[in-house]
Amino acid sequence: MSPLEENSVLVSVQNLHKHYGDLVAVRGLSFDILQGEVFGLLGPNGAGKTTTIEIIEGLRQPDSGSVRVCGLDSRQESMALKERIGAQLQSTVLPDKMRVDEALHLFAGFYRRSASVHLLLERFGLVEKRRTFFENLSGGQRQRLALALALVNDPELVLLDEPTVGLDPQLRRDIYALIERFREEGRTVLLTTHYIEEAERLCDRVAIMDRGQLVALGTPRELIARSGQGTRLEIHLAKPVGLDRLKLIEGVIDCHEADGSYLLRAQPAAVTIAALVRFLESEDNALLDLHIARPSLEDVFVEMTGRKMEN
Amino acid sequence: MPTVRIALLTIRLVMRTKVALFFTFLFPLFFLFAYAGLIARGKPEAVAYMFGPVVTLNIMGSGFFGLGIQSVMQRERGSLRRYRLAPIGPRTMLLSNLLANYLLELPTIALLLLAALVIFHMPMKIGWATLLVLVTVGTFAFAGFGLTIASVANTMQEAQIYNNLVWFTLLFLSGVTFPLPMLPRWIQRVAMFFPSTYLVSAFQSIMAQAEPLLDHWMEMLVLVTSGVFGLLFAVRLFRWEKEERISTKAKLWSGVFVLPFLVMGFWMNTRANPTAMWARSYHVMEQAPAAGPNAEAEKVNLIENFDGTQPSEELLHRWQISTDSDVSGHSMGEISLLTPGAEGTPHAMRLQGHLAPGPNNTQGYVSARCEVQVPANSRGLGGVEFEARGEPRVYQVGFQPPYVAQSGSSSSAALTSANAPALPFPAISFVPGEAWQNVRLPVAWLANPASHGLADSPWVLEISVTGPPGEFTLDLDQIRFY
Repeated sequence: MSPLEENSVLVSVQNLHKHYGDLVAVRGLSFDILQGEVFGLLGPNGAGKTTTIEIIEGLRQPDSGSVRVCGLDSRQESMALKERIGAQLQSTVLPDKMRVDEALHLFAGFYRRSASVHLLLERFGLVEKRRTFFENLSGGQRQRLALALALVNDPELVLLDEPTVGLDPQLRRDIYALIERFREEGRTVLLTTHYIEEAERLCDRVAIMDRGQLVALGTPRELIARSGQGTRLEIHLAKPVGLDRLKLIEGVIDCHEADGSYLLRAQPAAVTIAALVRFLESEDNALLDLHIARPSLEDVFVEMTGRKMEN
Repeated sequence: MPTVRIALLTIRLVMRTKVALFFTFLFPLFFLFAYAGLIARGKPEAVAYMFGPVVTLNIMGSGFFGLGIQSVMQRERGSLRRYRLAPIGPRTMLLSNLLANYLLELPTIALLLLAALVIFHMPMKIGWATLLVLVTVGTFAFAGFGLTIASVANTMQEAQIYNNLVWFTLLFLSGVTFPLPMLPRWIQRVAMFFPSTYLVSAFQSIMAQAEPLLDHWMEMLVLVTSGVFGLLFAVRLFRWEKEERISTKAKLWSGVFVLPFLVMGFWMNTRANPTAMWARSYHVMEQAPAAGPNAEAEKVNLIENFDGTQPSEELLHRWQISTDSDVSGHSMGEISLLTPGAEGTPHAMRLQGHLAPGPNNTQGYVSARCEVQVPANSRGLGGVEFEARGEPRVYQVGFQPPYVAQSGSSSSAALTSANAPALPFPAISFVPGEAWQNVRLPVAWLANPASHGLADSPWVLEISVTGPPGEFTLDLDQIRFY
């Protein structure tokens, strides 16, 4: 893949608006997704992530704004667009008595280009379950089937709406591995999530959404670095020391005491730790324990919105 | 073809669902047994009459519940959304549902037909092609109903309400459960607005009376129109998502769906008036002979009812007219086929003409004769009876050996031939009235046929008129041994 192609825009969302009655789901949202990247829409429930992804999938019509995918207009050329994207819905419902392989064969038959059903069954660990009715599949198996269905047409763009919600940690890791393979295959992925670690681990770039608007966009590292939150340091000292003196150490932004420990926010952390060690030596004090916590996207979200993600 | 793929898979899914299988195959059979057993009492001709309502009920059920409610269920469950991600449109989804519904309907009808033919010995007066056309048109029409209701209803509850309203109205007021001729006149008039009426009555006329399908082209047209309207609405108002609602305005628009039925209803009420046709089919059912040995006996005892399936002229070919012209008189007589016959049967025979004064002041006469085979076992029979009506004149009916009849005599006489035992040839006189009335001619020897040895040869039933000059008209029907 040439660098030019790598950087070419595959999805372009411009000034998107959507409301349901009085509820404004998306207001003035714009972003681009580059070819070959895993792009995450991160935000709490109700942020407008699902509405956005469903507009891109062609399931919903925006009130205004435009979406172009692979150079195709999502409204005017929706059939041609659907040929080139694969999607997994937040909750995929199939008829109860439909077997796994029947579903894959059926949907593969709708497209001009299709992937091998046998390979999909193998790849998503569904070979043994291929004759099982949809109603008898577990949550994880349903999710794997949904992902396999998203790939039946060998799509350029894969859209995943909360792919790991409701799954236990092991299943979640399995899904992460599958998504990482999408990237290796050169597919572009758009995923929505409200799990911080999912976005940090999987996504090349993340758009943080809140109340239908974009609040931040960039790589996870950029976003964290850009935030003024600083690294959290939890220190345990041999002798107590005044908070006002700790605050004077280089790089410390904020500091308070809790249960005999001191919690510092520091930026940059490396400079602060060196200064802290020098300070303690001069005070004839000693560092008994040290925990370092890097700032997360959660911290970025809190900083941008003043609210916690779970809310 | 995505349409065919989805349809075939849908059929497979139905085959895996016990409840769906029950309603698709067993439930219709249950109705056949109920109708054929309870209403038609197992009489083959009556079963043929009730077959139409059973098939119509089944077709309606598949349209309303198989297609309509299922469409709403698919939408409410959210399984349509997955299809929406694929490059297929509402048309594909609708046509595949329509196709699956039709393909599931055919074996059901075949099963019903098989049961009716094998278990109830139903006479098959309908051609395969005609049956297929009726079933296809009917299924399409009621698919239109189901799809319209599914399109208009925003929720499952709403769909159930609409469904029940339409379903029960059609069920009780269009001959599907109660034969229309049993119901008051005003209900028959209301029934003319319902498409199910036309499917039932087309079935009944064709199945019970072997009428050609083309006689029912207008009904077929209305049914097809209903299907087309339904499909158009469904495409226009199709929704993939449970949350999508349609406006009250769009609901009102769908009232257009009833237009063809209104036109048909008015036309039928003012112009065509199909009640006589309904009554004729119903009469065939009521008069149907019982199945089994009794039915055979009924058939053997029947001499002529002019209601057979051959072309109308042929129904009269057994009859011969003779008049006094053989002896240089000038009386005239002719026979023709009358529609309808006694008590609403399809046909009767009319003997009409005029009597002229004969030569030498004798009275003119006209007679109609028909050869009759005496049943092989005539024990227990009392004579010959028939229904008659006409102008109040004196007519005679006689039952004679062929050679007596050929002699031209129309009066009762004693056989004087040397090689036959002396027997009275029964004859009676009767005067018909304006209304149909039963006339009985006792034939004593029938009870003991061996006594004269002539039962094997055909005998002749002769009906004759003589008397003052002038016109005469006599209608005859339902001639049988009793």
